[in-house]
Amino acid sequence: MTALRLFVPLLCALPIAALAQDAADPTGASAQGDVAVTIYNGGQSLVQDDRQLAMTQGRNRIEFPDVSARIRPETVTLSGPGIAIVEQNFDYDLLSPDKLMDKAVGQEVTLVRTNPATGAETRERAKILAANGGIVLQIGARIEVLRDDGLPVRVIFDRVPPNLRAKPTLSVTVDAARGGTVPTRLSYLTPNMGWTADYVALFDAAKGAMDMQGWVTLTNNTGTTFNNARTILVAGNPANGGGRRNWWQSSSGAIDQAGTESGPRERLGDYYLYPLERRTTIANAQQKQVSFLDVKGAPARATYEYLNPWLGSSAEPLSASSVLKFSTSKQGGLGDQLPAGTIRVYMRDARGDPQFIGENSIDHTPMGSSMALRTGEAFDVKVRPTVEQRMKKGGSRWETRMRYTLTNARPEAITIDLAQDGLWGDTRVTAQSVEGRRVSADRMEWSVPVRANGSVDLTVTFESRY
Amino acid sequence: MQADTVISTRIDAVSVTVYRAPDRAAGAIDRNWPRGYALVTETRTVDLPQGESVVRFEGVAEGLMPETAILTGMPRGVREKNRDARLLSPAGLVDAYLKRRVTLRRTDRATGKVTEQEAILSAGPTGGVIVRTEQGYEALGCSGLPERMLYPQAPKDLSPRPTLSVIATSDRATRATLQLTYLAEGFDWSASYVADMQGDGSRLDLMAWLTVANGGVTGFADAQLNVIAGQPHRQPRGDQPRASGGPLRLTCWPMDITSTHPRWNLFSVEMPPAMMAGGAQEIVVTGQRATRAVFSPMAVAAPPPPAPVVAEQEDLGDLKFYRVPVSVTVAASSQKQVALLRQPGVKVERLYAATVSGALDAGESRPMTLRLRLQNRKDDGLGLPMPSGRVAVFEQVDDMRLLAGEADIGDKAADERIDYDLAESADVRIAVRPTGSTRERPDWTIALSNARPFDVTAEVTIPHDIEPRPKDMERRGNAWIWRVTVPANGKADLTYTRRLPR
Repeated sequence: MTALRLFVPLLCALPIAALAQDAADPTGASAQGDVAVTIYNGGQSLVQDDRQLAMTQGRNRIEFPDVSARIRPETVTLSGPGIAIVEQNFDYDLLSPDKLMDKAVGQEVTLVRTNPATGAETRERAKILAANGGIVLQIGARIEVLRDDGLPVRVIFDRVPPNLRAKPTLSVTVDAARGGTVPTRLSYLTPNMGWTADYVALFDAAKGAMDMQGWVTLTNNTGTTFNNARTILVAGNPANGGGRRNWWQSSSGAIDQAGTESGPRERLGDYYLYPLERRTTIANAQQKQVSFLDVKGAPARATYEYLNPWLGSSAEPLSASSVLKFSTSKQGGLGDQLPAGTIRVYMRDARGDPQFIGENSIDHTPMGSSMALRTGEAFDVKVRPTVEQRMKKGGSRWETRMRYTLTNARPEAITIDLAQDGLWGDTRVTAQSVEGRRVSADRMEWSVPVRANGSVDLTVTFESRY
Repeated sequence: MQADTVISTRIDAVSVTVYRAPDRAAGAIDRNWPRGYALVTETRTVDLPQGESVVRFEGVAEGLMPETAILTGMPRGVREKNRDARLLSPAGLVDAYLKRRVTLRRTDRATGKVTEQEAILSAGPTGGVIVRTEQGYEALGCSGLPERMLYPQAPKDLSPRPTLSVIATSDRATRATLQLTYLAEGFDWSASYVADMQGDGSRLDLMAWLTVANGGVTGFADAQLNVIAGQPHRQPRGDQPRASGGPLRLTCWPMDITSTHPRWNLFSVEMPPAMMAGGAQEIVVTGQRATRAVFSPMAVAAPPPPAPVVAEQEDLGDLKFYRVPVSVTVAASSQKQVALLRQPGVKVERLYAATVSGALDAGESRPMTLRLRLQNRKDDGLGLPMPSGRVAVFEQVDDMRLLAGEADIGDKAADERIDYDLAESADVRIAVRPTGSTRERPDWTIALSNARPFDVTAEVTIPHDIEPRPKDMERRGNAWIWRVTVPANGKADLTYTRRLPR
């Protein structure tokens, strides 16, 4: 007991200095310097962090806390005058009670036992022999299992293993030509931070116009907050060979006719740049929105579309799509290119409150394009396709008579753009009740007017050869 | 410069427009987390200081989709909008105080003596918490002693619930009335129709409930409630950034001791199902109730009385908009019902329907389906947009109101046909068999039989081509519709030649 009593003050005296040094900054301020973030569409960002680092001449091991927890270590570069990189490490072995105990096997720890009756504390040193399922200790000449009697025991470790960290940490070993404070720039790529555009379109059917606002929505899931950062958004995804589409990334098909106009926006190669006017703090787990487009009174109109597959027929009427048509042209349009994102369309109800009527995504859209945005299924406008008759006309020739029953339960006259595809091969139209357009070898379109609360039958006879 | 923070908690007026789950045509609402969404418009009043300020909107819907939020009424617009998912929680506090100083307080169980100690959080919150004291490193909650951490203050950037905040500027201190509009997940609605057949079976009284569900933790009092029928297109959307924080799980090193039980257990003993006694008893109780209902003159089940409040319908673009004409409360985690429409005396046609299934029919007799057909037109007492939903049809038998059947219907515009396929009838049956003599003459015969003491109308769908082309049959899609009256206790049949596809 006397031996232990001697031991206690020694332990207490020990780590005051170390305590201050371990807490890099007990006030919790970030270690980041002047941060610039370039964010691409595909959820990838380039972070540049200018930090002033104190170095001694020769080898220095520098730790960088407050970098993205999802950093791609292979993309890290550290540059500065007179420094050369020896090695870079990214450690993500995280400190936790079980790892701490596991790494302490074979080492000595201090046990503090509290007498449950009196509250008196006794201390003793113990050696950890194993940590398999339970902790086996050697105390002096005896072996016991930690907390075998269920009484409270505090285990105090002298140190934590050097490569266990509270957070994933980047460390770089550099060779400095001279000592002192060196301005350095750390840059790296990180996933989990990206942006999309979100558009709010308020459509006024009576005026044939819409107001459109564009917002950039920025999402940060890197586990790190970027403080007071200069931020540039790049409309484009430089990964994947310029964002080449795979079959599952289907195009939204909203562009009817691609535009050919150029705007005054800043560019990087073929990408458009959207720099944020002021520095901003991008907090972790945050979604941030910044305005970039505000257009009032651009012309827009609502139309209906229905696409029937070859020999498609239905016993029940099927809803036509509601389509909003507008242009991104400078004349008679939005007058801007639109970064890929989602357009949400609103309309005012009878009391003048805006209500949501549907949304769809668009691709990166050049200025001057004509757009057709499918916002939903029309409740009152329906099409019932019927295969009236299919007859063999000898040889490999077939005659197919189609009837499309178009119904309109709305109180005003409308026009439905009806399309029939699957006309590959030698398919000809021999009779039709409304003149149509052959838009491609595969597809034919008819614009069919339907009067208010009325219905129209479109009959078409196709002749095909196999 | 630290901008002033203005916290807005009060909602002056709110309007909630609920949209149906996009892929749920019929069926029940998922009450735990409804799959539809709602457009919420809140009016709030805030006092803005001069210069730049951060306005935090508390009490917004739980499922708020931040990319859809629109704010109007700020005197000089909004510089940026932020949605923070970092929450004030045990784990959130550890995360915020990592590498910072906290106070560790221990209480002696025997004496009640309290000791406090300065400590620095070394690791956490995932996988446990390690603190550094003057004596060394310790894991929190592994010693068996009562110990807790004290933090000097709640971090400013942690919020009690997911919060939307904006950065706005004002030239002078002013009071602004703001409109905050956003889409939020966790709402859904459906139409539930109740149809009561009138005595002679030629008309029915139709009414519909509007069932609205809110699965979030935020309720809206005195709200203007609307719903939208139809199918607005929605882009598939990734999950929201998960709210960080939550419970703090203190994990320790392995805690097995010498007397710890082995991990494996004895085989569980198989028990006979203990249902018998309870189930039998319940049957008796139900029987008693039914008897009482039949003979008691008080228990005459009438159709529900007319609802005083019925939703008003208007067109919104290509969608149908229903407005509840009075303010209602959309409470958190609740379902609410308001009358959607009421239409007495709707003309109805009673049919027996079946579809010929071609090669599968081997001549055996099948029951036909009882189908109630409504024509959605003014002359028949309807002519309204009918949002999709489930209909329950009741029939009055003596003094009891009995369920005749249930059916799901899709969205039906005015002038459409509406079929309720209710139940199979054992008395009206169909048998289809091939009667052709050669391979060149694939003849089929449909035989209908009626064991009911009334004439019935039957409608048989023949899903293939007929040779020669019939003159008096309706063509519907790819099929022909054979419609015939089967006399009371009689039979009807049809023989036709199927045109083989070549």
